[in-house]
Amino acid sequence: MSTITFRLNEKNISLEADPASRLLDLLREDLGLSAVKEGCGEGECGACSVLKDGVLVNSCMVPVGTIEHCSIETLEGLRETDEGRCIIEAFADTGAVQCGFCTPGMVMASIALLRSNARPTLEEIKVALSGNLCRCTGYDMIIKGVQLAAERGDGIW
Amino acid sequence: MMTKKISDSIRRVDAVDKAGGYTQYISDMSFDELHYGRLVRGLRSHARITHIDLPALPDGYYFITKDHIPEGGKNEIQQIGTDWPVFADDEVTFYGETIGILVGPDREKVLEIERSISIEYEKLEAVFTIDDGLAMKTGLINGTNNTYADYHLNKGDVDAGFARADQIIEDEITTGFQEHLYMEPQGMVAQYVDGDYIITASCQCPFYLRKAVANVLNTDKEHIIVRQAVTGGAFGGKEHFPDIIAAPLVVAARVVGKPIQVVFDRKDDISFTAKRHPSRGIFRTGLDKEGNIVAMDVDVTINAGAYMSCSNIVLQRAIFSINSVYDIPNVHVRGRSVATNAFPSDAFRGFGAPQGIFLAEMHLSHIASHLGIDPASYKQRYFISKGDTTITNGLMHDEVKLPLMLEKAAEASDLYEKQRLYATGSGKGMGVSFYNHGAGFTGNGEKEIIKARLRMKKHRNGHVDILLSNVEMGQGLQTTFPKIAAAILEIPMEDISCDNPDTSIVPDSGPTVASRSLMVVGKLVERASQQLKERWDESPEVEVEVKYIHPEGCQWDQETLQGDAYPTYGWGVCIVEVEVDPATAEVETKGIWTVHDVGIAIDEMIVHGQVNGGVIQSLGYGSLEKLEYKDGRFYQNTLADYMIPTSMDFPMMSSQLVDNPYENGPFGAKGLGELVFDGASAAFADAVQQAIGKNINRIPVTPEYIMEVMNS
Amino acid sequence: MVKTYRPENLQEALRIRRETHAVPLAGGTDLMVRYRSWAGTLPKFPWPVLFINHLTELKTMGLREDGLHIGAGVTLSEIEREMEAPQALRAAVSEMAAPALRNLGTLAGNICNASPAGDAVCVLYALDAQVVLTSLSGARTVSVMDFITGPGRKDLNDDELMTDIIIPHANFSHVSYRKVGTRKANALSKMSFCALAKTKLGRIDDVRIAFGAVGPTVVRSWETEKKLLGMDADDLKDHLSAIHDDYDAMIHPIDDQRSTAVYRKQVSLNLLDQFLQNLVKEL
Ligand SMILES: Cc1cc2nc3c(=O)[nH]c(=O)nc-3n(C[C@H](O)[C@H](O)[C@H](O)COP(=O)(O)OP(=O)(O)OC[C@H]3O[C@@H](n4cnc5c(N)ncnc54)[C@H](O)[C@@H]3O)c2cc1C
Ligand code: FES
Ligand code: FES
Repeated sequence: MSTITFRLNEKNISLEADPASRLLDLLREDLGLSAVKEGCGEGECGACSVLKDGVLVNSCMVPVGTIEHCSIETLEGLRETDEGRCIIEAFADTGAVQCGFCTPGMVMASIALLRSNARPTLEEIKVALSGNLCRCTGYDMIIKGVQLAAERGDGIW
Repeated sequence: MMTKKISDSIRRVDAVDKAGGYTQYISDMSFDELHYGRLVRGLRSHARITHIDLPALPDGYYFITKDHIPEGGKNEIQQIGTDWPVFADDEVTFYGETIGILVGPDREKVLEIERSISIEYEKLEAVFTIDDGLAMKTGLINGTNNTYADYHLNKGDVDAGFARADQIIEDEITTGFQEHLYMEPQGMVAQYVDGDYIITASCQCPFYLRKAVANVLNTDKEHIIVRQAVTGGAFGGKEHFPDIIAAPLVVAARVVGKPIQVVFDRKDDISFTAKRHPSRGIFRTGLDKEGNIVAMDVDVTINAGAYMSCSNIVLQRAIFSINSVYDIPNVHVRGRSVATNAFPSDAFRGFGAPQGIFLAEMHLSHIASHLGIDPASYKQRYFISKGDTTITNGLMHDEVKLPLMLEKAAEASDLYEKQRLYATGSGKGMGVSFYNHGAGFTGNGEKEIIKARLRMKKHRNGHVDILLSNVEMGQGLQTTFPKIAAAILEIPMEDISCDNPDTSIVPDSGPTVASRSLMVVGKLVERASQQLKERWDESPEVEVEVKYIHPEGCQWDQETLQGDAYPTYGWGVCIVEVEVDPATAEVETKGIWTVHDVGIAIDEMIVHGQVNGGVIQSLGYGSLEKLEYKDGRFYQNTLADYMIPTSMDFPMMSSQLVDNPYENGPFGAKGLGELVFDGASAAFADAVQQAIGKNINRIPVTPEYIMEVMNS
Repeated sequence: MVKTYRPENLQEALRIRRETHAVPLAGGTDLMVRYRSWAGTLPKFPWPVLFINHLTELKTMGLREDGLHIGAGVTLSEIEREMEAPQALRAAVSEMAAPALRNLGTLAGNICNASPAGDAVCVLYALDAQVVLTSLSGARTVSVMDFITGPGRKDLNDDELMTDIIIPHANFSHVSYRKVGTRKANALSKMSFCALAKTKLGRIDDVRIAFGAVGPTVVRSWETEKKLLGMDADDLKDHLSAIHDDYDAMIHPIDDQRSTAVYRKQVSLNLLDQFLQNLVKEL
């Protein structure tokens, strides 16, 4: 066990954790942030997506020892911001949500995309979501959700 | 308040909570003193267990086996049959069969113990293919001579038909395993509290689970309480398979006395859960001089694996689907579900229909190509119409709108112009498939077996609860059920709840399967709402209960499989455009167009969501989802190797609906959840065969397979 | 419980490496998968782990006189966006995994993983890339092909870290990179192909052809490339089938869960033929 100090959803925190453990487990189990999902633990599905220093990463691939002094954002920290609300509402309006298990990860990937590219093309949206698997929707309505969020989010992104 | 048409889209009630990550799935829920369970599996395809060497277990850790089944309890899981044991008895009959369950509070410790368990076996011969199973190569595995069922369907006079044949076309077509790959893996928590067993599970059928474990525990069903946890996708994979996890888990819960969680890791979920049945169709079809079909003889087999599970019902649907939307004279279909030492196959969206439809669509395409006729035009000759005889000698009650649907799909896709432009073998192709899906249970299953009941309750404050056992698993029931009720009661959606079922609270309105929920149970919601509306002012609290009523004029004999197999059908047309890369044989899908008849859409956005999801899942089945059974186990057992479609694999699709109300569905709605899966894989394969100018005989149509066909 | 180290700087990292032989973990996208365990339990690393992805010394990327230097801590996303990086490398990197993974994974990790299916490695072979291996005793530079000695095997001493990848300057008039993956995105390679050529006055001045995932290591033949040098369109046309046969004799893929030997071989040769035929046209 070591003391790990990092920024989590805009707050500095320090806690005891095994540096070899997965960020995914730290967030879900130690910190109760269950919007972060485990769909595979192999880096393939994106359900565990979080932002690390502002970029999208799979938290199942990140050992806790590598987040020292980093900033981690999870959906819990974003869902009540303008950005988070914009995507969540857009997803609800386009029918982007079915079983919902992939959705938090999709929202994170969409935020990461729109932050760096407020007016993405269809192709850019598809690429941005390509590491997030969804078995229910067939993706069209998620893509439309991102388009709608881009459209509505003038000024937010 | 509903002032608009029922089909007009509304926001799903669960969308914001799910998108915001507020929704708790089973692995997110907390329980006091939670313990963790790991299934200890027999990692042999067929072997006698000779010895289990168990390390000394520290306090609080348990290895639960058949010896822990309570007195009077049976080592058998009550499914349709009882052949699947809770714990392998002395023999392991497929790779991954449960031997025991290891439980403890600390996961590292549990793992450590697991690593030091050693199981010794005496190897027995095993078979994995349909042919080896049928040939009884290693003796009896299960069933009668390794078949769980051997059905025959006869329509017309096959011998007389063949006697008139000018030529006979023979064909062999196969389909592979498919993994459900719900994004939320299997998971549940079981606890034993004051004589009651509480199972909280990601599942489709809470009452199936209750039934499955009652005999194991030797207890009344009332002492088993199943609560559905929010279910992150299921597709049939959480229909019966949760039984296989729950049975050992409840035995453990009783011994341990603490809540125990079993959540599969992805690799375990792919390696050790049931899949879609692989199938084979061997066709002999007689044609007259004009190329008309005069007789058809089909031998359908499915690989059911080591235990029966629901294979025979899957088989029934597969053989009923052999003529799906066609009225073909003089047909004989034989269907067998075959026992092998493969992992038992089970329910998967479509439930045999996708297999039957693929086999038949490809065969008809092959006949058309052989005759030099475009397959879609050839197939149109045989479109069934209202009043025609079905393959089970029942009556087609539906108004069949396929010609109109084809017209719409053809127009949207510019089918005829593109067919003209893309010569056969040009590398570009248009594929077309036609399909229907019998909505609800086969024959009289609803009347004889399910006997659905549903309650609605008005509270003092005017709030209404809909009490039923059908689960939300992504398909939108918690929106559509209240929407139906709101439309009738003329109250806001927010005043109606339809919560996750708890078997100690809700009546049994049946399982969430067979595209029955919205049509059959939704009808009960409609009727209950009407009754509630009439009695609304009777008293401050009003409760109504309704029971299933079988549609008039639907006759069925389950013994002979004769009559009206389904009360009604959903219908579909799918067109797929592809381009095949000459260097790599990779397929680029250029367009997807569908038209469906689902009666009346209760919510268009939800319907389009089902269509999009079902079609893409079916295209995955048809193109990417290779799952080989090699050395007695699934070979592509990680998400790195089992390929489901990503956002980049297919283009955005066009989907249209035609209205065709069904009187026994709420507002005219019919089942659709499986229909939308049934045809796209055949359209894809058809497009590829047009593009390369050679017959495709199996799915998935991988580049490797295409190259093999092109080289042949 | 496995010991982990998080050094403050490269010097400390090298010292830890010498003293403990702890295994470097950069993006972790290979190691975390390989040693993953039951959810909620620790990855089962069989040796101590040295975290290196935060070391600023390893995060530099830029042109120097001997070529483009890519620090071992530079992520795949950063390379994807780097305009100075060779087109084939950017193409390969942009088709690896998916965006979130590329934000973690490194080029050094892809090389050190030494997987026959490592996508960047195929391109690095073609680019004559070199790697810098540093220990407390100093640094040595070896070519990527000498570094990778077999599937999962590499010429890395247990006190060394890879610190830099160097891609020598070169200009190509013809660049062809093709990944044939298990699907259109977020896919592992069934095979990959990278061909680079430079023509001068209607003749081939430089050519490199590499095939990934069709053998234990990347397939590249200097002998055959030498034969191509100096050819004009007619020469090349005359030699198409001979060149094809050369590679035919060199490529020995296997069957596995992702593809078949037959397919891999045929696609390799088809892509080769396609490249050479285009070259004939453009010479
Ligand atoms: C979902 C998924 C998809 C993927 N898709 C692709 C793909 O399309 N194509 C592809 O080629 N790969 C793919 N990979 C594999 C992996 O992402 C890449 O190989 C990546 O480049 C590895 O980099 P890393 O920094 O994450 O490696 P790490 O896991 O950190 O390390 C990999 C190996 O390199 C060693 N190492 C790392 N840095 C150094 C150093 N500086 N000095 C010495 N040794 C070092 C480590 O000890 C380890 O042996 C995929 C992986 C996942 C999980
Ligand atoms: S759980 Fe991390 S990518 Fe699937
Ligand atoms: S909504 Fe179910 S996996 Fe995406």
